[in-house]
Amino acid sequence: MPERHPQTRTKQPLLRGLPTTASILLLLLLSLVRVQADLWSEVQARGVLRWGDDAEGGAPYIYHPENDATRLVGFEVEFAEALAARLGVREQFVQNNWDMLLPALRQGGNFDVVIAGMERTPENLAKADMSRPYFVFAQQLVVRSNNATWQSISDLKGKPVGVLSASSSHRLLERLGGFDIRVYQDNVNYFRDLEVGRIDGVLTDTPIAQVNLAGNDRLRAAGAPFEPGYYAVAVPAGETNLLRRLDTAIEGLAADGTLERIYTKYGQWSPTQEGLRTWQPPVEVVRRQRSGLREWRTFLPMLLRAAVTTVWVTCGGMILAVTLGLALAIVKQYAPAPLRWMAVAYIEVFRGTPLLLQIYFIYFGLAQQLGLKLSAGAAAVLALGLNYAATEAENYRAGLLSVPRGQMEAALALGMKQRVALRRVLLPQALRISLPSVTNDFIAMFKDSSIVSVIALVELTKEFQIRAIDTGDYLGLGLMTAGIYFAMSWTASLGARRIERMLHHDHR
Amino acid sequence: MITVEKLTKSFGSHRVLDAVDHRQERSESVVILGPSGCGKSTFLRCLNQLEVPDSGRITISDVAVDCARPVPREVQRQLRLRAGMVFQQFHLFPHLTALENILEAPVHVQGRPRAEVLDEARALLAQVGLSDRAGHRPSQLSGGQQQRVAIARALAMRPAVLLLDEPTSALDPELREEVRDVLRRLADDGLTMLLVTHDLQLARDVSDRIRFFHGGQVVEEGRPEAVLDNPQHPRTREFMGKTGGG
Repeated sequence: MPERHPQTRTKQPLLRGLPTTASILLLLLLSLVRVQADLWSEVQARGVLRWGDDAEGGAPYIYHPENDATRLVGFEVEFAEALAARLGVREQFVQNNWDMLLPALRQGGNFDVVIAGMERTPENLAKADMSRPYFVFAQQLVVRSNNATWQSISDLKGKPVGVLSASSSHRLLERLGGFDIRVYQDNVNYFRDLEVGRIDGVLTDTPIAQVNLAGNDRLRAAGAPFEPGYYAVAVPAGETNLLRRLDTAIEGLAADGTLERIYTKYGQWSPTQEGLRTWQPPVEVVRRQRSGLREWRTFLPMLLRAAVTTVWVTCGGMILAVTLGLALAIVKQYAPAPLRWMAVAYIEVFRGTPLLLQIYFIYFGLAQQLGLKLSAGAAAVLALGLNYAATEAENYRAGLLSVPRGQMEAALALGMKQRVALRRVLLPQALRISLPSVTNDFIAMFKDSSIVSVIALVELTKEFQIRAIDTGDYLGLGLMTAGIYFAMSWTASLGARRIERMLHHDHR
Repeated sequence: MITVEKLTKSFGSHRVLDAVDHRQERSESVVILGPSGCGKSTFLRCLNQLEVPDSGRITISDVAVDCARPVPREVQRQLRLRAGMVFQQFHLFPHLTALENILEAPVHVQGRPRAEVLDEARALLAQVGLSDRAGHRPSQLSGGQQQRVAIARALAMRPAVLLLDEPTSALDPELREEVRDVLRRLADDGLTMLLVTHDLQLARDVSDRIRFFHGGQVVEEGRPEAVLDNPQHPRTREFMGKTGGG
């Protein structure tokens, strides 16, 4: 044993106390973290079961009745009420974006369970525990009525088919392969795009198909429902007590006919729902937590493919922005009054309203009101281009204004017409001055282009979102996606700096 | 060659030019002298319509303009084609080389084939002593060199008259001589020139006649040695005293 240094000995009482203090602190911390150790006792104590859903889910799940925007109805609302009543508590609805429900549940969000047409699939079971099913659904293909030939999903191979993001329909089409899958954020807009002909089919859950086909003679169900699946209540992983209570309650609601009464009211009862009474959990549920980084061979190509979309949307948008912006700048600076006002109005309107709004307007608004059916890609390029044109116009104008007055005078004194002076003398100088701001905007647009994911265009951010929801790996996939974005903007800025240096050198 | 009648111009309530007359023959070189703010630069800029006069008539070569009425752009342009302009600050096009600066207007205004103009442009560069600077950008040239390129650029359009607005004022004293030298030779070759300057040496060297501006009017004019060495008007005398004979 080595000889102890005397000074160490003097510190010993403190050191001896340390483990005790540390363990007390640790226990305190743990108790803070595990204060909601048993969610069921918490729900009981609160007397309220908070359930998360997206009120935009629409009929028949959850929706506002036509004459009352403050109330929510739907079979899920009534199921939640019946479920809570059976558990002996009250229920409380909590609004959350549909595709973020499970991630939010996992984060310990502000709701206890998710009742939102959440499918009992291995993918979802990897992210949360799931109760016994409360609803049986199936896949239904919907097409336009004026097409009599398409009868099954295999008839639409290679054609654009709309699905809800991260839904079982989405996963089914990916598994089958060979479809032009268009991903939507909600259950409403794909029917709209199907009607106007942007897509040829919608694959969705039977309840959604049923409600949207009722009274709509432009759309029809193609073939019988297939691929049955179950909706179940999602519970944070490990909350077995709550899960057991829910299972018992749902079994009771199925046995005593409560579910049949509710679903009949919403036109959703069918013989297949009888299966709810006899349902037995599958013997083994494969649970796997997937890692985007470890499975990079699968995910990197997907992300890179989506990045190609980001690149062409950005480049297309930028080409439109620089040309239109140049025209706007010249008109604003040199054109006579009425034209000049129009350019000013354009710039102020497009700079002063959100890009997101402009995208909705161009994609949905123009199709609805004017019958102008732009593809998602064209709408994205147009929206980005029109929006950025306003910014570019101001960049060019700043460039034009910073060219010394004497340059225009010298050009005019040589007998140039104003148009020639502009083209030969002012613009070449102004563009050099504007170039850094323009390349800056180009790089900014790479990032802004993620906003076009709202119109069924799967670019890099959207692809990331889909895969992250699927796997639950936001960190690994997020790092990969960020890396790709960084590589793109870094390449762009290297290129820009090169051009700037070239012109600068030219100029000196 | 140049006839100006009763040219009047005000900036606000300040009358800069007060019914100025001017007559100049072909091959004659006239220098306008005067204190700052006497309207001499404005007079020059009115001649090629960079400033719009309030009234008066301007005739250069075969183009006549009545300034009391709005002058159509095309007429303004015709006037400018006959009156080349050299600026105090040169105003070369910074994105073009010296040679391209000279080629620019003949090719893109007159529409002459580049190959044809190229020899002329080279000759002009040689004339101002800058053959070895053809490929240089303005930023690579000294002020004196830039001004000589600017003179060549104006001459490339073969104007009836060359207007020069203080061509040596922006230059360091040691660079002035190279510009004076070019202008002396142009005057000797019989180029019609109208110069505004503070540079008395330049005035003495290149002018056939000097006109002295004061308060928007010509108060004295005559042979250069007469005005420079024996000024009559009190304002001229005061000016020569201050400027100290260049």
